[in-house]
Amino acid sequence: MTPADRKEELIRRIAVALRGRDGANPAPAFKEDREGTSGEADRIARFREMLESEGGNYLAGPSLDPMLPALGEALRLSGVAALFFPPGDDGARLVAETLVPFGPFTLVSLDEVRRPFAPPSAGIQTAEFAIAETGTIVQTGREGKTLLPGLLADVHVALLSPAVFVDRMEECLDALSGDPPRNISFITGPSRTGDIEQTIVIGAHGPKKLIAVLLP
Amino acid sequence: MEPLSRFFHRRSEKALADAPLQASIARATGKFLGARAEAVAAFPGFEAARDEGSRIKRETLDRLDVHLARFIAEAEKRGAVVHVARDGAEACEIAARVAKEEGVALAVKSKSMLAEEIGLNEALQSAGVDVVEADLGEYLVQLAGEPPSHILAPAVHMARERVARLFEKKLGEPYTDRIPDLIGIARRRLREKFLAAGMGITGANFLCADTGSVVLVTNEGNGRMGTILPRVHLVVAGIEKVIPRLADLPVLLRLLTRSATGQSISSYVSVLTGGRRPEDPEGPERLHVILVDNGRTGILQGKYRDILKCIRCGACLNVCPVYQSVGGHAYGWVYSGPMGSVLTPLFAGLAEGAPLANASTLCGACADVCPVKIPLPELLLELRADEREQGLKDPAEVLGMKGYAALMGRAGILEALERFIGVISQVLFKDGKTPWLPFRFSGWTDRRDFPAPSPQPFRKLWKKQRGIHP
Ligand code: SF4
Repeated sequence: MTPADRKEELIRRIAVALRGRDGANPAPAFKEDREGTSGEADRIARFREMLESEGGNYLAGPSLDPMLPALGEALRLSGVAALFFPPGDDGARLVAETLVPFGPFTLVSLDEVRRPFAPPSAGIQTAEFAIAETGTIVQTGREGKTLLPGLLADVHVALLSPAVFVDRMEECLDALSGDPPRNISFITGPSRTGDIEQTIVIGAHGPKKLIAVLLP
Repeated sequence: MEPLSRFFHRRSEKALADAPLQASIARATGKFLGARAEAVAAFPGFEAARDEGSRIKRETLDRLDVHLARFIAEAEKRGAVVHVARDGAEACEIAARVAKEEGVALAVKSKSMLAEEIGLNEALQSAGVDVVEADLGEYLVQLAGEPPSHILAPAVHMARERVARLFEKKLGEPYTDRIPDLIGIARRRLREKFLAAGMGITGANFLCADTGSVVLVTNEGNGRMGTILPRVHLVVAGIEKVIPRLADLPVLLRLLTRSATGQSISSYVSVLTGGRRPEDPEGPERLHVILVDNGRTGILQGKYRDILKCIRCGACLNVCPVYQSVGGHAYGWVYSGPMGSVLTPLFAGLAEGAPLANASTLCGACADVCPVKIPLPELLLELRADEREQGLKDPAEVLGMKGYAALMGRAGILEALERFIGVISQVLFKDGKTPWLPFRFSGWTDRRDFPAPSPQPFRKLWKKQRGIHP
């Protein structure tokens, strides 16, 4: 059998299994009870509340100047020695470069982060969406974007602008579902595990800390 | 994995006598249950979401041919390589072939129950592929050479001291029983594997038909590592994982993560579509998806279709008094708890799995929590009926039941018997307990107190209370 035949055969087998059966159980109709979309300020406040309840950190301020020392301090306390950002992400580059003296940190390339025994790093990246319902950051592989900052870094710094906030996951999927990128990642809080004695430990495989920074 | 469910009773007795195991099961199920209850209480739309989730899954199954064909077409259109496997052996063969053709010597694997079901690890290992479990709990049980014992917390039966000794012995790490340090060791060891592996192997929580996407839900991030870093991504998924649209995902996620761990969403949800595109700086060059039947079309055909709605949240395990007492290993195969008690007889045959279907009080707690409203107790009853019809029941039990039915239909004899027993028990069982019952019934007196028969039959008491005089 060719692979195509095998697929057809499977579909046929399923069709035969379904034939003559009682068919659909009429289930109660679902009432669409979407909460009305909220205003920007509500969305951001809700996002923050959810993010923090999932163990994420949130940073905002009237301008970058007072925020950067605080961010640098947080990174230093987390043991970060190196910073990296995706090529082409100008916002992230700006933040990373301005942060260097606060460490002091060294700027490293994506390739360096991919090596085993890479120095403890912070990956800085502009997020594509922020979902208020769950405090979730969305990064995708759209237009050649990398996903490494939210993957390999010890601290993931997600830069947000007010325009990226949505109420629910639905809106984000609507925007992406026409031609979905190869990878859509919904990231909520730091990586965690409860696998030993159900004790939650932060920093299983992914970042040990997630800092969402709302840019003014 | 060879099923051992026919030994359920023996395995349960062992589990019941194992005090540390009892403590860890209680801790895990308690935590999961508490977190679930809180999350559900905080989400007023939960019941409506259950209706919706149940409807989506059921309607997909009712037209699975259409949805699966769509998934295959869309996934292939976007560059995925889709394979179909009639059974586990065929799926393993395909996986081994893919590994060979792709030149893979080391693979990192994320938790997948289907992989356990079909024995994928063993098959790949014997084809010369080193498979490392990347979920921390799975990594621990793999190091220890044991099967997982809970679908969400595979190493729930291992205390920290055991993990420490395991790392000392198998990895040569200095002894530490601080949990964060232990996790740190595993993180470091596995990070090396992720960076070196040629292939990431995962299951799928959902397959979206309209976009050909594979959806993975994890908290640790192992799923993301294994689907971004290695050259090849291999997915093994049961055919029942299909949902019609990517847009159906949010409601199912809201149900899954709340029911599983009480989170409003898991730390990581990845939606993966097709292979690497020219502009992608990273990610696997190829995405292979093996769609596995392995008995699922058979289940689809019959009266057990609803069990295929299962999204493997684990809520029914945590709430089940039987699971709470004996834990996952006693069930003897991949699937445990109420969900496993239905699936095991269907996959492995009634002769193997019927003891699981019988080991239930039918209390209904599982159906109450199931996020996709699977009528688990009804399915368990159906399985018992099938067991009887196929002549697999113990003839003595069948005879006993027949006698019982006959007796219940003859009020006069029943009443006389009740009185007789009432009178003699007054004389014999002074402390209100039945000291022992003969073999076959001895289970009721060996390990618990079986009350002595009441001096007055129930029906007499009933009439008296209602003021009815004979
Ligand atoms: S049967 Fe229902 S409650 Fe049990 S694991 Fe499946 S979806 Fe969850």
